[in-house]
Amino acid sequence: MEVTVNKQEGKTVVVLAGRLDTPSSQEVMSTLEPVVADAKGTIVLDCKDLEYISSSGLRIFLTVRKAAAAQGGNVIVKGMSDSIRSIFIMTGFLNLFQIEA
Amino acid sequence: MKIKQTLDKVLLRQSARAGLLLVIVAAATLEATGIVQYYFSQKGIREEATLRAESQLEATKLKIINIVDQAEAAVRNSMWLAQWALSTPDSLQAVSRRIVENNPLIVGSTVALVPGYDKKHPLFSPYCFQAPGETTIHVSSLATEEYNYPGQEWFTKPLELQTGYWSEPYIDVGGGDILMTTYSVPLRDMDGRIAGVLTADISLDWLTDLVGNVQVYPNAFSMMISRSGQIMVCPAESLVMRRTVQQVIADMDDTAAFAGVNRSMLAGERGNAVVRYNKNTTHIFYAPVEKTGWSMSIMVPDSEIYGNIRKVGMIVKLLQLLGLLMLILILRAVARNQLKYAELNERKERIENELHIASGIQMSMIPKIFPPFPERKDLDMAATIVPAKEVGGDLYDFYIRDEKLFFCIGDVSGKGVPASLVMAVTRSLFRTVSAHESSPQRILTTMNDSMSEVNESNMFVTFFVGILDLASGHLRYCNAGHNAPLLLTDAKRPLPVEANLPLGVLRGFCFKEQETDMRYDDAIFLYTDGLTEAENSQHELFGEERMYKVLSTRRPSDGQMAAMKEAVRDFVGEAPQSDDLTMLFIHFLPDGEPEKTERHLILHNDIQQIPQLAEFVETIAGEKKLDQATAMNLNLALEEAVTNVIMYAYPEGSDGLVDVEAILRKDSLEFIISDNGVPFDPTAAPDADVTLGAEERRIGGLGIFLVRKIMDSVNYARKDGKNILSMIKKI
Repeated sequence: MEVTVNKQEGKTVVVLAGRLDTPSSQEVMSTLEPVVADAKGTIVLDCKDLEYISSSGLRIFLTVRKAAAAQGGNVIVKGMSDSIRSIFIMTGFLNLFQIEA
Repeated sequence: MKIKQTLDKVLLRQSARAGLLLVIVAAATLEATGIVQYYFSQKGIREEATLRAESQLEATKLKIINIVDQAEAAVRNSMWLAQWALSTPDSLQAVSRRIVENNPLIVGSTVALVPGYDKKHPLFSPYCFQAPGETTIHVSSLATEEYNYPGQEWFTKPLELQTGYWSEPYIDVGGGDILMTTYSVPLRDMDGRIAGVLTADISLDWLTDLVGNVQVYPNAFSMMISRSGQIMVCPAESLVMRRTVQQVIADMDDTAAFAGVNRSMLAGERGNAVVRYNKNTTHIFYAPVEKTGWSMSIMVPDSEIYGNIRKVGMIVKLLQLLGLLMLILILRAVARNQLKYAELNERKERIENELHIASGIQMSMIPKIFPPFPERKDLDMAATIVPAKEVGGDLYDFYIRDEKLFFCIGDVSGKGVPASLVMAVTRSLFRTVSAHESSPQRILTTMNDSMSEVNESNMFVTFFVGILDLASGHLRYCNAGHNAPLLLTDAKRPLPVEANLPLGVLRGFCFKEQETDMRYDDAIFLYTDGLTEAENSQHELFGEERMYKVLSTRRPSDGQMAAMKEAVRDFVGEAPQSDDLTMLFIHFLPDGEPEKTERHLILHNDIQQIPQLAEFVETIAGEKKLDQATAMNLNLALEEAVTNVIMYAYPEGSDGLVDVEAILRKDSLEFIISDNGVPFDPTAAPDADVTLGAEERRIGGLGIFLVRKIMDSVNYARKDGKNILSMIKKI
């Protein structure tokens, strides 16, 4: 699992690549701590290379979404594969985020 | 009624005809036996009579010969003396006197010389004799003109025959009317010339007694005749020495037959003949007395010989008639009974017919077309019910509702019509109650309450209900006192069953339900005790061992059923079936897949082991050529389930294991996750509400929600101190 955080055009872009399973979620969560602490702007979660997500991964998405909502920020989920999208549909997460192709 | 009367008449007529025939046959048999017996008896009696007569004849003859021999010997022994005395004829008298003196048998004797032998006396015959009852010996001369001894038979015959000769018997007029006979022997002088004859007279008065005393039968009589036919001894004394037989028989009715006998007797032959005498059939037995030329005969009336046998014959005939009479009486009684019996039989047949109809109705209630679900590949079922006598109290039933197989087996206490009625009620209750109830425990409770409510006959039913989830193989069951069915997996063992009461015993009884899982190729075998308690003629029971032996061979259900029936039939042999025999065989073949593979993974309760699980699932997905989305979903479900165990099953810091078993089938994948941790049923947690907004969303609860969403079937069980979560995904 690889996760990178960049600032681009005033947006925080988080690129998630690989398998976001339970063990890796803990690591990803600690990486994203600064992002959650400062979530006033727009946060883009790039899922183009995300292969897999478990409920722990979904929990990270929800944590980021809740922090942004609390601080007046905005979360965009981008580039989901069909399989990841199906999980989002299954869990109702699709309605919680702004989705971009 | 009219038909019945006609039938009775026909029966009566038939039995009357049969009876008559029987009487005739019996009579004929008796008569034939009588005839045969009579014939042989007659033959035997005839032989016996002949034997008796002949032995009497022989004995009498021997006595006579004995006397005759004595006389002959006396004469012979005096011969030398007479020869010697010839030179002085006057001394011949002394020879005769000596013969009479020395032999009490001999009453007279003489030496008669051939005329001219002695120059002094042309005729010379001094005669010495003893009068009856006297001891004095008188002497006289036979050489008189009137007597003319040279012309007498006793003188001429021995000289003519040149041998000793017994004369015709005669009455000695001078000596007191005594029957006599004379033995005379030719006498030669020293030169060998015939000199005369030496004679001895013997009295035959003993002969009358001897012959007269011969009594073969009370009314038989004996006769003695001389060689000329002169009657010597006979019961009619007036005939003795006065008539010849020839004269007597000329006056008889049956002259020809008598003449034949007479000829034979005179010729010195022995034999027997049957003649008519005084209008009676009479048997004559006769034999000669050698030397004397006499012949003796015994005459026995036919009635004397066969009198007894005829009497016996009459008694036998009478008894036969009595027997026949008894037979007729008995036949009449039997015919009446038969009529009664026919009526009873008819009544019995009617009842049996009704029972057969009842049995037919009962049998029609039970599904008995096999295979019952030809369109289903996941179930292979067979069942059989063989009632012992008439209608039985066994039942089985099954049907499919909501992808679940409902099945039952039961045995009503008792037999016959009451049992079959209870059986019908039980079966209909089962259908009614299970139509809207999916818990075996609740089905049995309801059935029991309703059956206990009105159970005046105190009949009860041992009953087993099972509900098999055809998608998961999960079996829920409840047993009410029935034989535990056998679960046939790789091992064969009875299903563990709670000790519940049979149905109909106690209202309000609380039944305990149990459950298990059936895997692919598992089977369940239900039976009633008519199987294990099938009895052979030695009163041995079929028993569980034989049952297990049959089941140890894997066969399709119908084959299994046929094999079991054959084993029972072979064992029981000719013995009558003592109890209903009912069997139900359910072979579970989910997805109809003939092959399955299994994979196994053991993990520690460490979250870092999750990638290993992912790899395990990926391998399986690859093997089953699943698309990426499905593979990911499977992975997700497994991860969620296993994570749950890793996080919550074991106390923090303690080491524990998580067992993951995968069963790969053609159309499904099953995962069974088990652990030894604290009891925890993830399926009991409420589903996450996916309709809530982000703010209201809770962090937890999503995992098990995903598992449920992804998998087609999820079941939790706590068994042997283990949490067991089984999940099936159709593919």
